[in-house]
Amino acid sequence: MKRMTALILASVLLVLLVIGGCNGGAVDLDPAEVREYEGEDLSSINDFRENSIKGPQQVAIDGYQLQITGLVASPRSYSYDEVLNTYTGYKKVVTLHCVEGWSVNILWEGVLVEELLAAAGPLPEAKIAIFHAYDGYTSSLTLDYITDNDIMMAYKMNEVTLPAERGFPFALVAESKWGYKWVKWITEIELSDDEDYQGYWESRGYSDSGDLDESFFD
Amino acid sequence: MTKLRLARKIIQWLLLAVAVLLLITGLGITEYRIVETISFGLITKNVAHQIHTALGLWIFFVVLLALHIILPFIGRKKN
Repeated sequence: MKRMTALILASVLLVLLVIGGCNGGAVDLDPAEVREYEGEDLSSINDFRENSIKGPQQVAIDGYQLQITGLVASPRSYSYDEVLNTYTGYKKVVTLHCVEGWSVNILWEGVLVEELLAAAGPLPEAKIAIFHAYDGYTSSLTLDYITDNDIMMAYKMNEVTLPAERGFPFALVAESKWGYKWVKWITEIELSDDEDYQGYWESRGYSDSGDLDESFFD
Repeated sequence: MTKLRLARKIIQWLLLAVAVLLLITGLGITEYRIVETISFGLITKNVAHQIHTALGLWIFFVVLLALHIILPFIGRKKN
């Protein structure tokens, strides 16, 4: 009887360990990434853990449109190339801290969200920006936070184009926020006056502010 | 069964339960899609996170582990 119990428990543990080891396999990424920038060591773009709600999304760039909607004077729609060619690119090393306990220090290159929104003319009552992703994921940031912190929407990391696994074509660089605020595969930025809006993880018990210096539980 | 043997048995099973709980909730954080599915939505990422970190489960685990190691030496007959 004891032997049987031990055998069952060992089997359960083995299954759990196997599940834990199944991370979907290695991801082949561009080997030309930089690992140092202005004397600062960078993590690799392979150092991320894949933890998105529906797995990596393959966004076809033909037909892709970034929508700026909601409380704006003139809603906008941009192709991938239009975003890159119309707006100034910025670079910054920012560390992403995940609630799971890991972090990565990456050189991000992208456009300022503030400049994208300015072109659409935010209405005075707009208070937050809701970022919609290709897989249905959403999260929001206040407009004050976006403008005060020069928040970027990245198209490159460590000098290589964002891979699909990391959010191609655009990923949010929500500096000083927990990782669940860093929306990947952005398709739409919607301005809203609903300051109580809760995104995917926020509606499941995680903090709405997502500030790194606070607990990520609501 | 002496009281000491009974205490050992209880600690053994409690330690196993806590270890399995730590393992499942840990996987519930990193492999939340799988764990949420096989637990029929009972162990969500948030729930797993709360149990795994916020309740200080690891302290309970360390105490039980220490007792599990120490107790066999207590009450052992000298040759």
